[in-house]
Amino acid sequence: MIILDKIIAVHSYKGGTGKTHISINLATSFAKHGKKVCLMDLDFRAPSLATFFSSKEVECWLNDYLNGTCKIDKALIDISNRINGGGKLSVVLANPSTEAIREMSAKDRKWEMRALGRLLALRNSLLNDKAFDYLIFDTSPGLQYSSINAIVSADLVIVATTFDRSDVEGTKRMLDELYDLFEKKTEIVMNRVLYDISSKSGKNSLGKKIEDMYQTPVLGMIPCFCDVAKAEGAIIFVQEKPEHLFSKIVDEMADKIERNNSV
Amino acid sequence: MTKQEVLGRKPLKILEKIKENLEKLNEKMEIIIELQKRGRKGVQPLPDAPLDVMTLLSMPDHLRKTAMTVCRLGRATADEVAQQTRRARAVESGYLNQLVIMSHLKKERVGRKAYFYVEKEDQE
Repeated sequence: MIILDKIIAVHSYKGGTGKTHISINLATSFAKHGKKVCLMDLDFRAPSLATFFSSKEVECWLNDYLNGTCKIDKALIDISNRINGGGKLSVVLANPSTEAIREMSAKDRKWEMRALGRLLALRNSLLNDKAFDYLIFDTSPGLQYSSINAIVSADLVIVATTFDRSDVEGTKRMLDELYDLFEKKTEIVMNRVLYDISSKSGKNSLGKKIEDMYQTPVLGMIPCFCDVAKAEGAIIFVQEKPEHLFSKIVDEMADKIERNNSV
Repeated sequence: MTKQEVLGRKPLKILEKIKENLEKLNEKMEIIIELQKRGRKGVQPLPDAPLDVMTLLSMPDHLRKTAMTVCRLGRATADEVAQQTRRARAVESGYLNQLVIMSHLKKERVGRKAYFYVEKEDQE
């Protein structure tokens, strides 16, 4: 049985590895190439998509859907007008209020079990019924309930990591003790690479080094860009700076996933 | 309807009932075998054991695979689970019943079929 990579969870061991930035740009890249995409904020401890995609017109949060108090349709916000290309991009936001963060962190195991059920149900409600091509989950780092729920529900886990030693060690442990246990297809995105990967040979040898280090395929390697840091997370690079190397790398990653799905 | 047809119906019903009871018996035996194999200590029933991801993580590999398949399918028979995991139906039936004993799954019989599912309380 071939499982297509339709539900993608972007996860990491440590915080600050670029998960949200990668998630937003990957979702936009798919949408720019004509796909119908839904980006979801599953980082309930530090929601960030609400800041990025203005939360003024939110009728329903992802929190409400997982609480069982609203249907997923009500939580979908169509932001296709913010991107070029023929695709569709929707977001489902996590409630960033302190009260909501506190409430989400106090949920018990039974609630988490039902939340998992509701996340699993998205395959039917969004992929099958609403014909979305991709669901992208932006998760919180480490072993959080919401992140593991997202990983269990996903077809592909993109692990955002850096060369930071504690990050490398933690990521290795998660590969062995989390993703492997759930038999998840996992790919690495090495972020903030300081090595020269402008040449093909440089890129290949670094790619090989990362694959050997993690024993996991590499989806992409992103150099450390000062422009990205300077933008302060205020722009979608793939949309506003399509010629930037960062955007091209994200486009390549989207293309790789797309090609895997069409085999 | 002829007299012969009416008479023919009854034995058929009896046979169906016998088959149904044999299947029930078979399942009970699978549970007993499973309990004997693992020793009662390993599978003590829990009053309330939600099947959350942390529980899934702490399970032995063979049970996790079965439990995750039921989570994905929502509600399934041993046959349906076996199709997904590519393990024998009898093996899956044993694992499913073990998960029921451990209170992680619920079991419901509809006619001849036994369905396994994760507790759905309050779910849409």
